[in-house]
Amino acid sequence: MDLHNLNPSSLKSRFTTRFLRALTEINARKPIASSSSPREIFQRYRRIKDAADTSMAYSVRSRRTWSKATLWRLRTPSHRRRLASFGRRSSLNKTRTTTTASHRGAVVVQITSRGGGLGVQLEELRELVPGGEAMDLCNLLDETAHYIKCLTTQVQVMRTIANLYSLE
Amino acid sequence: MNRALPEILQCSDMTVLERQRARLKWQQEQFQQHQQESYFSELSGVFSSQTGHVQGFRQGDLMSCGGAAGGGDSVLSDVVMTRQLKPDPGLETAWPELGKVDMGAMGFGPCGYGNGQSFDMNQAISRTSSCPPAVAAAEVKGNLEKMGLAVERDSLKKRKVEKLQNSKVVAEDDSKRIKASEEEESKITGPNTRKSSNNKKETYGDTSKENSKVSDVQKPDYIHVRARRGQATDSHSLAERVRREKISERMKYLQDLVPGCNKITGKAGMLDEIINYVQSLQRQVEFLSMKLATVNPRLNFDIDNLYAKDVFPYCTTNFPTVGNMAQELANHPPYVQFNPFQQVVSGCGVEMGINSTEMALQRTISAPVSIPDTSFLNTSCFTGMQQIQPSAAWDAELQNLYNVAFTGSIEGSDLKMEM
Repeated sequence: MDLHNLNPSSLKSRFTTRFLRALTEINARKPIASSSSPREIFQRYRRIKDAADTSMAYSVRSRRTWSKATLWRLRTPSHRRRLASFGRRSSLNKTRTTTTASHRGAVVVQITSRGGGLGVQLEELRELVPGGEAMDLCNLLDETAHYIKCLTTQVQVMRTIANLYSLE
Repeated sequence: MNRALPEILQCSDMTVLERQRARLKWQQEQFQQHQQESYFSELSGVFSSQTGHVQGFRQGDLMSCGGAAGGGDSVLSDVVMTRQLKPDPGLETAWPELGKVDMGAMGFGPCGYGNGQSFDMNQAISRTSSCPPAVAAAEVKGNLEKMGLAVERDSLKKRKVEKLQNSKVVAEDDSKRIKASEEEESKITGPNTRKSSNNKKETYGDTSKENSKVSDVQKPDYIHVRARRGQATDSHSLAERVRREKISERMKYLQDLVPGCNKITGKAGMLDEIINYVQSLQRQVEFLSMKLATVNPRLNFDIDNLYAKDVFPYCTTNFPTVGNMAQELANHPPYVQFNPFQQVVSGCGVEMGINSTEMALQRTISAPVSIPDTSFLNTSCFTGMQQIQPSAAWDAELQNLYNVAFTGSIEGSDLKMEM
């Protein structure tokens, strides 16, 4: 494997570039002081995590549902998000669920299991995979596979960077 | 002879079966070539880059194949060999990245379990050809043609067994949806799920054809599904069956992605595993970002330079540190030897900072334009280097580092290399 074999257009390298750029920007904006309060550290953590997710979603070349959902999630404020997701969920589950609204606009969706008792797990999977609420099983599995692959890339790269930085 | 195959395949007066045979022979030759090349790079391991996955997978496959299939089960070894060639690049499927991931995931198998457990691999292999070996032989050959058909969303079994072709052949066959082998197949086995390979899109009214004919002409988006013997033939149940097959194919694919799922059968258990795995990955991302938030980075080099493709070809001999840094960041670095770098790079940080904006702008411009910048970068940073450590021996060590990093022999040990 020769030196220049690092595929510059692979998912990994695209993600690495973007993420490193975001990281340096975050670090430049607020350099880490040795006496940061936990709150500041928490804020940094949130920013870094959002940067990681965003750069991952952008690095996906084929526009996937989960990547669009991630970006959307990070951009729209939460109150607007709740309304939209209510609409999305009810349109999908119309045929097999009853939606009951309980106090203060929070929507509780009950799924009556239709296909062999997989309902609970499907619901969990939908929650885990961003944008998974409005997809049928077949596409959901597809998205899950792609999402898992991208997550593993993300973890690899972040781990490498963290080790690099912590070498001192 | 190796290159002769695509030409042979392109001449249309060969029959389908002859083509398949020729293809298979070619693949075998390719396999033997690769066998010698990749024999000693087994340890490139699971966690390296994707081509490293390919090597690891091939090696693991080879070992297990040699171990268990040495008894002369030629069919299985056929299957194994054809599987090995799956990583041949350029397969234009709708899951192009997933194809590569498959490599990575397969790499988990042999390298995770060690080479002693060839049984696992063979189970995985036999899973792909779930028919008895005598039938599998005919099916492997019979399905070689099918590869050209439904390239976009193949059934998983078929993809594992049959993705032999390189891109030229696939692109060529993709234009024809020949159903010759479909008839052949349906006579061979009953519960054969390879039919799902044809079911990319369906028109519900037209799909249940008992007498689908072989057609050489390009068909529009119809997928002809043949009803199997003794099963209901109305369109609803056919569509239902197709849907179920798609789902099971995806579940199998996920089973390969998620490590440690080989023993679990049944959708519920699989879904549980998948959920756990996704949750653990998400937690890892959170943990790592927390770690990054607390660690103070001392390297102040400009990141934008790292992936300047144009920089690399001109810079390697003069300025190995930047290139090396970039490469190492993306392929788990052997960071035991990384320390001498950091001082150098931080020393160069100033010069590079000056050049960074220019480089970032120039990065997307074609190579010749960026030459003056790179030379500027070279000289200025090179002087920086020389101030700090002007030793030829150290450069030699850097070159060693390059070689080491990129033969991938260190990468097996994932992360916590203790110094």
